[in-house]
This record gives sequence, C-alpha cells and structure tokens, in this order.
Amino acid sequence: MTDVAAVEPAVETRGSLAWRLIWLAAGWSVLALVLTGLVLTQAFQDTAIRRLEGLLQATDIEVAAVTRVQGDYVVTPPVQDARTLRAYSGKYWSVVEPDVQGGFHPLTRSQSLFDYGLPAPLDGPGMILAAPGEPYFYDAVGPDSQPLRIMAVARTLPNRGAPVIFLSAMDRSEIDQDITNFSFLAWSALGVLGFGLVAAVFIQVRVGLRPLYALGNAVADVRRGKAQRLVGRYPREIAPLAQELNALLDHNQEVVERQRTHVGNLAHALKTPLAVMLAEAGSKKGLLADTVRRQAELMRAQVEHHLQRARAAARAQQTHQTAPVGEVIDELATLLERAFRAKDIEIDWRAPDDLVFRGERQDLQEILGNLLENACKWSRSRIRVDAVRAAPGRLSIRVDDDGPGLPADQRQAVLKRGTRLDEEAPGTGLGLSIVDELVKSYGGRLELGTARLGGLRVELELPAFET
Amino acid sequence: MRILLVEDDPDLSRQLKAALADAGYAVDHAGDGEEAHFLGDTEPYDAVILDLGLPKIDGVSVLERWRREGRSTPVLILTARSAWSDKVTGFDAGADDYLTKPFHTEELLARLRALLRRSAGHATATLTCGALRLDPRAARASVDGEPIRLTSLEYRLLHYLMMHQGRVISRTELVEHLYDQDFDRDSNTIEVFVGRVRKKIGPDRIETVRGLGYRLTPLEGESDA
Repeated sequence: MTDVAAVEPAVETRGSLAWRLIWLAAGWSVLALVLTGLVLTQAFQDTAIRRLEGLLQATDIEVAAVTRVQGDYVVTPPVQDARTLRAYSGKYWSVVEPDVQGGFHPLTRSQSLFDYGLPAPLDGPGMILAAPGEPYFYDAVGPDSQPLRIMAVARTLPNRGAPVIFLSAMDRSEIDQDITNFSFLAWSALGVLGFGLVAAVFIQVRVGLRPLYALGNAVADVRRGKAQRLVGRYPREIAPLAQELNALLDHNQEVVERQRTHVGNLAHALKTPLAVMLAEAGSKKGLLADTVRRQAELMRAQVEHHLQRARAAARAQQTHQTAPVGEVIDELATLLERAFRAKDIEIDWRAPDDLVFRGERQDLQEILGNLLENACKWSRSRIRVDAVRAAPGRLSIRVDDDGPGLPADQRQAVLKRGTRLDEEAPGTGLGLSIVDELVKSYGGRLELGTARLGGLRVELELPAFET
Repeated sequence: MRILLVEDDPDLSRQLKAALADAGYAVDHAGDGEEAHFLGDTEPYDAVILDLGLPKIDGVSVLERWRREGRSTPVLILTARSAWSDKVTGFDAGADDYLTKPFHTEELLARLRALLRRSAGHATATLTCGALRLDPRAARASVDGEPIRLTSLEYRLLHYLMMHQGRVISRTELVEHLYDQDFDRDSNTIEVFVGRVRKKIGPDRIETVRGLGYRLTPLEGESDA
C-alpha cells in the first residue's frame, strides 16, 4: 500500500488553510488601518492650517481697516496687538508694493518685524495682483529662520493709483509640532490596534480550525488501528465529513466481508464435489481412477492456495482491527490438543495479557493455526509457544516443538508454495507458505530455526497494537 | 459400533456410508440438521460425523444443542471452510476433531478410530465443586452448565485441585504434577496457570494460601451438585 502511495502521490501539501485565512484577514486589516491613518493625519493637518489662516485673516482685516494714504506715503497706525509689537514674536504684518525684481518693497510693517521684509512667494506677486481682494496663502522663511505661513491680499487704496499688497504672517512651527505629535499618537494607536487585530485573527483561525486538526488526528488513529471509526463531536460544518468518512469505512468493511463470504462460498461449492471425486476414484483401480485422483488432488491444492491468497489480499487492506494474542493462542491450543489427543500433545504457551496484534483476528488465527497444526503433526508430545513484546509496535511469537526438526538446507524450500516434505503427516503442504505470505502482507518476518526442545523453531515478527 | 453420519451431499453420503459399512460400523444417515438432532437425541451412538454446512439447522447449532442437553458423544466435524475461525467455532460448540474437505476416506476412518478409542477409555466419575464440573471421560469442564475452554496443562491443574478439594496444595506439588519431566520450568509457571484457570472458572474458586500454596473450594452459597 505504501509503495503505491510513494510512486503516485495522490495528495500533495500546498499552502496552509490557516495561513491563507490569516494573510487575508491580516492584509485587509493592515490596509484599512494605513488608510485610516492617512485620512486622519491629513484631516488634522488641514484643520490646524485652516485655523491658522483664520487668525491671519483677522490680522489682515484689522490692518486693512486702519491703513490710509497720506501724501506719498502709506501709513498704518500701530495695531494694538502685543504680539505685533515685540520683535520676532512670530506674528507679523506688512503693507508692500511689488518691485521690479518680483520681490516686495515694504511701505509699512509691524514692529515685530523690526527691519525685516517679508519675502514674496517663489513664483512672484503675479498671482496676488491678478486677483485683487482675494487672499493668497504661501509658506516662507521669516526672521530668525522661523517657518511662516503668509496671507497676501492685493488692494487699491483711495488716493493711490498703484495697488498695494497687505501681508499677514504667523510662525507655523507650533502647529507643525501639533501635527507631528498627533501623527505620532495616531500611528502608534493604529499600530497597536493592528497588532491586536492580527493576533486576534491568528487565535481565531487556530481555534476555529481546531476541529479540522482533531478530525485529521482521528483519521490517523483509524489508520494506525487505534480506533475503528471516527468518534467525538464535530461542528456542523465538518460533522458531515466525519459521517461520510465513517460511512466509507463501513462500506470498505462491508466490501471486504462480502468478498470473504464469496470466497468462502466458492470454497464450499468446490470442495464437496472434489471430496466426492477423490473418494470415488480412491475406491477404484485403473488408469482412469489414478488420473482422476491425481488431478483432483492438484485441483484441491490449487483451490486452497488461491482462495487463501484471495482471502489474505482482501484482509491486508484493513488495518484498524486488533486481536489479543493470548486469547487466540488459547483457543487454538485447546482445539489442537483435543484434535491431536491420540498423541497426547501438550501446548505450553505464554503471552502477556495485554499483548495485542494489530490486524485481523482471523489472520492471526490463520497464521498461528497453521503453525501450531504443523507443530502438532511433527512433535512427539510437547510444544512451547512464547509471545513477547519486541521493538516498539512489534511483537514476536516463537513456536518450538520436540519433533525431528528441519535441516537448515530444507528450510527455505518449505516456504515455497506446494512444497510438501511431510509425506506421511496429513495436510496439503501449503500451511507454511500461506503463513509466510500472510506474515509478509503485514510487513512481518518469519524465520525457521532449531528449537530448544530439539525440533523446529518458527519465529514470527508481527505488528503490535500499542495502547 | 454405531455411527451417525450427517451429510447433505448425496454422493458423498453414499461413498462414506459404504466405506464406513466396509470398515464394520453400523451407520445411520441424516441429510439435514433437524433429522440429525432428532436421531442424536434419541439413539445411542458411539460417534457422530457431522458436516457443518447443513440445510434447516446448521451443524454448529446441532452440536451446541446436543452438548447443552448433556450428550457427550464424540463428534468429528467435516467442514469445507478451512479457515481456523470456523474450526474454533466448531470446537467451542463441542467438537472433538475436525476434517477439512476434501479429504481421503482412509484419513476419516483413522480419525474415527482414534476418536472411538479415546472415548472408550475407563469411565471415571464426573468431578464437581459447586457449579464447577469436570468430565474426565470427555476431558471437558463447565461452570453452571456453560462449557469452558481449558488447555491440557490447565485441565491437568484443575483436575488435580478438584481431586484434592479443600486441601492446600503447594506450588512444588502442583508443578511436579503439571510436568512429568524436568523441562524448562519458568519460576512463575504455577502463578501463570492458576491465573489463567481463575480467569476461566471465576476468580474466587481458587484461594491463595500465603506461603503454602492453593486451595480449591466451592463458592459460598453453592451446594455440591
């Protein structure tokens, strides 16, 4: 079975359901969080700047209200805002006219500017002059390297032909700091939230998929022979799968049983006619009778061999059965001692109570029945059977008899089909070869040797069921 | 010697009847389970040759009924099913020997002779200890009429204990009785066999007397039948 699986892998592992779910959920969460972060910080920044621009507009209105033309000069009386009086305070205003280089020539300015002239926008005053009365905002560097937000409005004053530009400015480093603080806070909070979400998804997937892992383990238990069917409770989504698997196992079992029944029926159907032919031919003399007897004998051997093989093949598929070794030896020993009572055979057996064969009871019966029957045929009176636990998952059974034994050079031959060394002892001569085939179908080993009692020793290694 | 042959195949029946008659037996024939059960119940046979695949009532059921009714006539079963599980079923029902079809007539005759020789041995009275019964003639044991399976060593141990009911038997005495020769005795042999027999006849019938050995007594409230 394993060979087939190795040549033609039907199932290939690719990816993981858990990781697929985790990646999908986590990916979406992270994307959503990043978008949220971007929108939040942008909104905060816009609001902060608009508030600053509101303050600039208030200053502009104040300055524009008091500015007049006196002769050739533009005059603005000091505006009563303390911040516009203290030098480099961060709040400034100025009334300017554009000069020929695209810069500004200040006509009047707040005391806070001292002698500093507010700079023009990088692309010149054209935009401002093009839309008189409309505020135009730009950023520039002010006195003391302060980052400034500046509002410029072009107006025409009475008694002056050329338009002048009113500038109001404020240091924006404070709100820049606010924006930075807010961003830091927002991104940290969102990061923590993101981690939390990913962890939650991870746990959810692990917990959610646990029944699937449990199902996998249950199926493995069935294959290893630890359980007959799937048991336990499963969620509504995979309970049908578990039920289907059980139905499949039952169906398998049923097919095997049916096959076995067919095989048995065929045996029954063929054997009685063969017995009749053998008896009839045996009671007559002559060439015809001899030929019929010989051929009937051959047919019997063939039928037996092929039926046994078919049975063995049908059974080896089912690995989730178990059989207690001691019990099987016990029932076979009592049977054979009774059947061989004329010889006063004594089968002395030892097996731990908890030693269990991993496979069909019928197969263990077949293996040990044939071995013990052989031993009974050949022994003088004593047979000793020892079953022990060998390596993990293996058991070993030794059958010793006190018969004549078997020379080393003949041991291989008796395992071959149809070889019959026991011409005088009854039987078909197929016993050992069938045992060997059955043992091999379970991945076990059969060895022949010399028993301590003097006769043949047969040593078996078979799979054991570990509790 | 009177033999009951139970076989449904007419050809095989005819051949076996002829062979058995030639060998000097008086043979009755039954072709189905019902007839077989009736004949075995009413006529005193020395042995029965019983095919397991029978019309009406199958061979195993017929055999079980006979044994339940207390008939200990030796029975040789004929079966086409060579699987060991079928043989085990037959023996648990009370068979004494089996022969797998197809077989040689001489082999059947030899087995029958052996079966008759065994059961003709000196008749010994049945031993009882409460509900436990031992029939040395058929080498069978039962508890409350239910047959129990004993290997020959277990049978020998129980037989000895029953012969000396109520007496404490030492381990040495038991082991010497169990094995006639000095074969490889494991140190715990007696414990192993006593344990197994206890499992089969019920745990309390064999009492362990510390340092001395074992004693078989009927259970409390059980009268000697």
